[in-house]
Amino acid sequence: MSDRTLPRILQTPAVLLLLIWMLVPLSMTLYFSFIRYVLNSTVRPEWMTPALSNWRGLGNYGYVLKSKDFLFAIQNSVLIVGSILILTVLLGLAIAVLINRNFPGRGIVRVLLISPFFVMPAVNAVLWINILLDPVLGLQGIAVGGLNNLVDGLRDFPVLGYFFNLWPVFEPISFRATQTSAYAVIMMVTWQWTPFAVLIFMTSLQSEDESQKEAATLDGASPWSQFINLTVPHLARPIAIVVLIQSIFHLSLYAEIEIVSRGNGNKNLPYLIGEFANNNIGAASATGIFAVILANIIAIVLLRFVGKSLMD
Amino acid sequence: MAFVTESSRFGKIGWPLLAWIVALIFFFPIFYLVLTSFKTDADAVKPEFLFRFTPTLENYTNMTQNYDYWRFAINSVITSTFATLFALIVGVPAAYAMAFNPSRHTKDILMWMLSTKMLPAAAVLYPMTFLTKNALGIFDTHFLVILVLCLVNLPIAIWMLFTYFKEIPKEIIEAGKMDGVSTWGEIKDILIPLAWGGIASTALLTFIFCWNEAYWTVRLTTIDAATLSKLIEGNRAPEGLFFGRLSAVSTAAIAPIVVLGWFCQKQLVAGLTFGAVK
Repeated sequence: MSDRTLPRILQTPAVLLLLIWMLVPLSMTLYFSFIRYVLNSTVRPEWMTPALSNWRGLGNYGYVLKSKDFLFAIQNSVLIVGSILILTVLLGLAIAVLINRNFPGRGIVRVLLISPFFVMPAVNAVLWINILLDPVLGLQGIAVGGLNNLVDGLRDFPVLGYFFNLWPVFEPISFRATQTSAYAVIMMVTWQWTPFAVLIFMTSLQSEDESQKEAATLDGASPWSQFINLTVPHLARPIAIVVLIQSIFHLSLYAEIEIVSRGNGNKNLPYLIGEFANNNIGAASATGIFAVILANIIAIVLLRFVGKSLMD
Repeated sequence: MAFVTESSRFGKIGWPLLAWIVALIFFFPIFYLVLTSFKTDADAVKPEFLFRFTPTLENYTNMTQNYDYWRFAINSVITSTFATLFALIVGVPAAYAMAFNPSRHTKDILMWMLSTKMLPAAAVLYPMTFLTKNALGIFDTHFLVILVLCLVNLPIAIWMLFTYFKEIPKEIIEAGKMDGVSTWGEIKDILIPLAWGGIASTALLTFIFCWNEAYWTVRLTTIDAATLSKLIEGNRAPEGLFFGRLSAVSTAAIAPIVVLGWFCQKQLVAGLTFGAVK
């Protein structure tokens, strides 16, 4: 066997498996997106089997583009992913700089900080929406109730009482409404992914050139200007990577939305696809193709960024 | 901004203290989950028992009858273990070939593999349901879950292995070739012992991702092959006041993985950024 055939044989199973995994379902989605295909229809039973005779052309795409849900799902995806990205990068930077020094118990601090990242998404959602954020029974309800009781008690004090009488009775927020449940999702995912950003920024901070900083200190540069002029440029690449990797993961966010928002109208693209897939497979497939296009745009940017440095 | 400097008194005590506070805030939800798991369902929602309560193990001892926990846990263990194993069996030879015998196309193949990971799963939801239910009849089987988990994580596994294998000097492998060692012998006697650490952390990380996967495991199973993700998802809105038992089953679902995660936090960076951040 020559030098070239063997490596080819060794990587064939992996390539073949991934090729089938990618091409077969995706080409089916593409096909379904061009035909009329529903799971239940008493009026048009012929649409219940996928067939070329049910050809609809771009009709499903038009239908999806015109539906209010699609626009809402896109807006919500952007709101959720965008907020998570901004929050995780800012918090991640602040925390990474904060713990990038020697202090007692640094190892334990790292372990505590990284823990949320390993919590399974389903547990993350159940924990936040029920046990922490429930307006009556959860920690939020307990905390708001406690605060109201405290203020109530203080109202009877002689002078201070006048001040506390001006305070309103606090109302807990329900995170199960359409809009607030998006905030709940942002909160729980930010909690889970900030550790990831911290970890990456810390790894990168440790490779920062210390001598440059020392020179800057000697020149009288303030810590803040050192951070802006030296550290931030050094972190530009890790920030880009954190943003892009997270966009890929969060665009397909599903379990959290499913658990927090079922039936309340809050949705993102994957959730909308799931809703369509309950009956209208044609529309679900067209939405799926839109999601693939969106993911591809981000993937191309990511591979541009990451690709160069990989092979050296 | 003088207070930022290390030499000031605040810098010596204040910043570490702040770091500890931030870490404790981030860990608090997990702590609260574990704490609640030791309360009865009735106590779990009462303010007066927030931190002072009589701990009970009943949520854990009743986990089997309340949730059939072990059935789902065993499914999670089986599917994650075999998916990891298969990902390594397919991934190690592939990564070996790409690291030591790269061709013109190796870079493109690696990039393409990564791009399969970026396809939104939801886009192929219905075809996958259709294929596995109607055409192949493997819906809700261990085989299907193992296969899907393996495929979903294969790109990252190959990438990680590739990054580790690249660090091994080519000469060592080539010396083996000179001595007439077969390719299988090279992998078994030279590569695997040398890259043992890298292979182990790849396995660990793949296992974690398999365990936490929550799209396909939920959508492609009903009961026979359902994993812990499905169990928790099915109990997302507890009717009545079941926070105690819900916390216990959630704690049991995440504990093994969070502990595993503590051991491979360093490898996580290389694994998730494909070696781009060092």
